[in-house]
Amino acid sequence: MLDGKERFVHVGEALFEVVRGAGARSAFVVGTGKNVGKTVAMRAMYGAATRARLCVGLTSIGRDGEAYDAGDAQPKPRLWLSPGTIVATARDVLPRSPAGEILALSDLRTAAGSLALARVMTSSYYELVGPPTASGVRTTVDRLLDHADYTIVDGAVDRVAALAGGNDAIVVACGAAAASTQREAVDDVGALVARLRVPRFDEGRPAIFVDGALTPARAARYIAARERQQIVVRDPTQIALTGKAASHAFAALTLRCERPLKVVAVTVASIGRDRSFEPASFLRDVAGVTGVPAFDVYAGARS
Amino acid sequence: MKTERLIDPASAQALDFAWLARAVEPAGEYGRRAFEELRPFVPGQEAAAFERASRIALLASAADEERLDAVRDVLRQSPDATGAIARASMGDVLDDAQLFELQRFCDAIERTGSLLAGVAGIESAAGDAIRSIARALEPGRSGKYGFYLADAFAPEVSSARAALVRAQAELDAVRGRAVARVGLELGRDDVAGDEFIVMRASVGKLPAGVRVLREAATYFLCAIEYDDAALAALARRDEAAANVAAAEENVRAKLSAQVRERAAELDRAARTLGEIDVLVSAARFTREHDCVPAAIVDRAALEFEAGRFLPMAGELEVQGRRFTPIDVALRDVAVLTGPNMGGKSVCLRTCGFIAMCASFGLPAPARRAATALFEEIAWLGIGTDEDPSGGSLLSSFAREVVRLREVLERKSARTLVLVDEFARTTTPAEGKALLAAAIEALRARGACGMAATHLAGVAAEAGARHFAVRGLRGIPDRPSTGDLHEAMAALADSMDYTIAEVGSEDPAGRADAIALASLLGLERAVVEAAYGYLKK
Repeated sequence: MLDGKERFVHVGEALFEVVRGAGARSAFVVGTGKNVGKTVAMRAMYGAATRARLCVGLTSIGRDGEAYDAGDAQPKPRLWLSPGTIVATARDVLPRSPAGEILALSDLRTAAGSLALARVMTSSYYELVGPPTASGVRTTVDRLLDHADYTIVDGAVDRVAALAGGNDAIVVACGAAAASTQREAVDDVGALVARLRVPRFDEGRPAIFVDGALTPARAARYIAARERQQIVVRDPTQIALTGKAASHAFAALTLRCERPLKVVAVTVASIGRDRSFEPASFLRDVAGVTGVPAFDVYAGARS
Repeated sequence: MKTERLIDPASAQALDFAWLARAVEPAGEYGRRAFEELRPFVPGQEAAAFERASRIALLASAADEERLDAVRDVLRQSPDATGAIARASMGDVLDDAQLFELQRFCDAIERTGSLLAGVAGIESAAGDAIRSIARALEPGRSGKYGFYLADAFAPEVSSARAALVRAQAELDAVRGRAVARVGLELGRDDVAGDEFIVMRASVGKLPAGVRVLREAATYFLCAIEYDDAALAALARRDEAAANVAAAEENVRAKLSAQVRERAAELDRAARTLGEIDVLVSAARFTREHDCVPAAIVDRAALEFEAGRFLPMAGELEVQGRRFTPIDVALRDVAVLTGPNMGGKSVCLRTCGFIAMCASFGLPAPARRAATALFEEIAWLGIGTDEDPSGGSLLSSFAREVVRLREVLERKSARTLVLVDEFARTTTPAEGKALLAAAIEALRARGACGMAATHLAGVAAEAGARHFAVRGLRGIPDRPSTGDLHEAMAALADSMDYTIAEVGSEDPAGRADAIALASLLGLERAVVEAAYGYLKK
């Protein structure tokens, strides 16, 4: 905890160890909103992996890593990459100099042209613009793993369905930028992690299999009927519940899935552009509500 | 592969043109471009159509599946370099991804050339331009498929990169010392990021060189400033990076100039590679389906032995059944009769499919075939969802009449017309009269084709040749289980799909329909009653 007397930890190393400890070769960093430190968390893990002399593959879902955010034109963290790193990014944003090694060109389309696989030959800043679809990211990660020991993806919550049932680790980033108050930020990340960590159903117990998404209306019907069977969705992204509806459904129903996801850690960014939260209490509250290891990449602390 | 005037959408649907297009689709981008430009041969191009089909058949006999598939794999994996060639031809300096595409293009030409070496009728895409560009790009070959603007391209690149590495190391050292000092003073060692948080309680005074970006009650958000030494090192690094960029760009400019000089030849090679892809895909189709080049005759005629309608043959194979090949010889519009499920529609589709293959210069699925190059292959009657103008306001009979009107209006000199149970939804007497008149009109226009019908006496009425499916050899027992698949299998075993000219004999009145209804499980009492009515 951040009480001023704590021993600072190497957050990148610690985060990366959590991913490795989960037996994953790829980590997806997803956020509760924009500017919540996803790229900073990714950069911390990347630094740890390269310091361990591992070959790392990097990509993103959609457009990320550019100097200015395509959505709000605000400055964003850039990725300074070391020689040997493999990137999967749009060919139109590959730096012209210093030259990298082009390994392959793919048919997959991104917001900035077709996707290229390249090896960094000289340290430089790189922009990551990966494929926008879940299946495209899945294919890209598999291709990166042909060349790299580990892959880190700057991801998006609505694209993690492609990871369901797999062995990829998910790191959830939350921060002051995505909520009005600390309480709201903590509630949001708590609900998201609870949703993503829905366990696999018990085959030995009765179950109702939901075709498609579990919507608030469907959940309300099950709650009204005092349904005691397992309510099983295909994967956690099919639980279309947020806020109080989510909390209520999780309390009243036994929600399960066929293909679970593996959330291994949460990162917090207590500083936002418009507001900031008290770092120590934010980290503590997030760790408490999510039940997974929490890290503050700015303060160099873990829960 | 465009149908142009040869087949309208409704006929294309009935003859499953989409299946044929998929079956001969090339593997790579160069081939797909060439494929897009394919048009049917038209009357007057008989020799060219036959020469193309023969060339494909020759390739199919000279290269086995393994070799053809290897060529297709090479082409499938080859990125499209035509954009890079075009850009260079207009004076652009190519980027590394485009140089990568060019190297893979040269590799694909070399590889397909060696895979098809010695095969007659295949023009090589290789030439001086390809060899020259391949040599120029060779220093960039990296690993099995990679491309890197390597030091070997120019000594200036090598020296500029070495200088950049030194400058970066110097900057890292200067920044590293600042970070280490700040970390030591703060009692932590992970302050290497752009921004970091320092808790107020953990520090009395911030170290020198730390800039506070934001001050809060319990913490500071900080960054390490660049001091004079760091700024100087940064300037030297940036200058070294600019030198690398200039040296690399110089190499790209020289390579691009070489591509520009040979652009026309490279473009021709890309077209040849596309044509090879098209031919190899057609040869693969020819081998897989045991096709032969049809002789192309200069009159409205269609004749084949052991012809097959491949889309249906494929479906039957999936079900563990086999397509029964058929023989047909048409020299004008003839009438085809036979029992339900006896293969009349399939016979018409086989005729259309074989004529369609020949029109595109493809070997046809038959033991032997001879056909005209038709200006139009027209399907009339059941088997399409396509509505002519008028859409859903028209009844099925009205739609057929409008289709017939359109075919007659087009006045193609050489039409293959395939009529499936025209006018079946009106009264038998009028339907027969209309069909006979339509056949007469089509024959008068010199059309070739076949009209399948259950109406008796049409051939005699129209003065047309009459073919018939032989039909059931006996009445198969209805399956005890009522299983439809079992019934279909029993029917197939009992059906003689042979088509023969029957002259004046007219078997259209046979009661195979009631036997079929029984086989398909219709209630026994209803079947008995139907036989009773038939006897009356």
